[in-house]
Amino acid sequence: MSQTITIDPVTRLEGHGKITIQLNREGEVEDAHFHVTQVRGFERFSEGRPFYEMPSLMARICGICPVSHLIASAKACEAIMSVRIPHTAAQLRRMLNLAQMVQSHALSFFYLSSPDLLLGMESDPAARNLFGVAAAKPELGRAGVGLRRFGQTIIESLGSKRIHPGWVVPGGVTEPLSAEKRDAILALLPEAYANIKLALGWYKQIAEKFRQEIEVFANFPSLFLGLINEDESIEFTDGALRLIDAEGAIVADGITASEFTQVIGEAVEPYSYTKFAYYKPLGYPQGSYRVGPLARLNIAKSMGTPLADAELAEFKQLAAGPVQSSFYFHHARLVDMLYGIEKIEQILSDPLILDKHVRATAGVNRPEGAGQAEAPRGTLMHHYKVDENGKITWANLVIATGQNNHAMNQGVLQAAKHFVKNGKFTEGILNRVEAVVRTFDPCLSCSSHAVGQMPLVLSLLSADGKVLDRVVRS
Amino acid sequence: MNVSRISCLILACGNPLRGDDGLGPWLAEWAAARFRADSLVRVRASQQWTPELAEEIAGAETVIFIDSSLETAPGAVRLSPVAPAAGDSALSTHHLGAPELLGLGCELYGYLPRTALLLTVGIESAELREEFSDAVKAALADACSLLEHAVERLLTVAELRASGHRV
Repeated sequence: MSQTITIDPVTRLEGHGKITIQLNREGEVEDAHFHVTQVRGFERFSEGRPFYEMPSLMARICGICPVSHLIASAKACEAIMSVRIPHTAAQLRRMLNLAQMVQSHALSFFYLSSPDLLLGMESDPAARNLFGVAAAKPELGRAGVGLRRFGQTIIESLGSKRIHPGWVVPGGVTEPLSAEKRDAILALLPEAYANIKLALGWYKQIAEKFRQEIEVFANFPSLFLGLINEDESIEFTDGALRLIDAEGAIVADGITASEFTQVIGEAVEPYSYTKFAYYKPLGYPQGSYRVGPLARLNIAKSMGTPLADAELAEFKQLAAGPVQSSFYFHHARLVDMLYGIEKIEQILSDPLILDKHVRATAGVNRPEGAGQAEAPRGTLMHHYKVDENGKITWANLVIATGQNNHAMNQGVLQAAKHFVKNGKFTEGILNRVEAVVRTFDPCLSCSSHAVGQMPLVLSLLSADGKVLDRVVRS
Repeated sequence: MNVSRISCLILACGNPLRGDDGLGPWLAEWAAARFRADSLVRVRASQQWTPELAEEIAGAETVIFIDSSLETAPGAVRLSPVAPAAGDSALSTHHLGAPELLGLGCELYGYLPRTALLLTVGIESAELREEFSDAVKAALADACSLLEHAVERLLTVAELRASGHRV
């Protein structure tokens, strides 16, 4: 008799998800799926709204990465308006996006994943949380809190609110930066550098203890997609997309937001509300790819900031070509954060950063527009169509979690096959299967545009579909 | 932490779009206006209490948490001490209770405010709407009065301690 394991809900993620592991009659893992079990439908209810409302409406999709939605949405609106935003507005948006990346990555690394990394995958689940981290290594917990505060304070300073700031609008931003705010942000930098240095140093000491996880946590060849500048340095807010293959060769380059939907398709699977993005010329699933911190570092030739460049060089020593194991999302996330802090410092030294001209205005000049940006979890694309009055007639959002969906499912299967033997498993094994998903830091609220936290259900199913075991985490 | 601590931190929780659940932010707004002139009082309202607040708590001599309660009778106003608690496996990084926030502050910063109180008001409904129920409306005056007296008492104690008195 075959079996199915269900992990429901998956914990320490953003949103609601479930994992099922199907065993065959011999008790070996036959198949595994990561299910996203929530749905909202932001695209649909935005129909009929004026296009200029879209950034603030779309930001409500997520409380963790609203800035990414603000920016991608505003850029889509600017394509409809046919305007180019002022330099200072672009720089301020870039800073806001990086601040969000730092606070979001800090949540993922320190709050959600460091309990596994510090206390161990098999440690007591009752203590495998932020309290456990605080008790065992309080300086690590304080670094996480400090980096969260760093990002949130900048977001609050620029956008007046920590969550759902309304400062980014079609055409730019609503208010320029004051010298007082600039100086206040500059004063935050020394502590932020100290915190990320502590985290990187600690991570590099412990990473090799997880050799088994490195080998089987979504460790396979794949395509990688991410934004890049013309000089091949990493980019989060502007630039164009590059797609590379598992050997690092360029598959497609210079993909603009308007070209995104021509080359990226979205498949559906019966077990998930989240779509599965793929590169159309290769079809589905062959054209599936990964986005996010790992993809960004695999694609970028440089970071464009000295400390992060040194870290990138070290990161690239992990493999001859692109780094394939998704366990290294953790490492890449820390390098992203270091880059974000350095880049914010660079932006604040821009002689035009206090310029008062931060918004361009225009009406509807095109019936359609698309915008793209790097969210913490990967590439985000918003695409809208409007009528002659500027009311939305159609909208589509392609979210990072959907673009990583196929890889997450493959990763869950790979880890389950490695760890679950003869139908036997422990809580620690199930935690490892969850941890595969956690490395990607998926945001299920974004991917299904759904509400809430992300508990997870894990089910173990027999060959005839009978639930043999079920772990529910809330 | 090498900080000069504020005397009283007021942390309110709730969502003004969820009916009676908005009483936390409402009381926070009232307290911010009432103690506007007092730099020793800091008021912060949020929809959820997240771990970062442990750092703010570590910078306060005393803390008053304000929250709605579905477990007490609608309109019942209570002020009680809070003790620190440890988190468990169900701990959410999106929302902690007052005891867990105190516990996290202890672990991370080795500090517990001298006094920690929780002010709750029993609510009738947290459904989507922007108005309070009659029971909560009727309780607002009592809640303001209790909060005002608690803050004044904490400030008086802080003042006496600062001037060298044993309290």
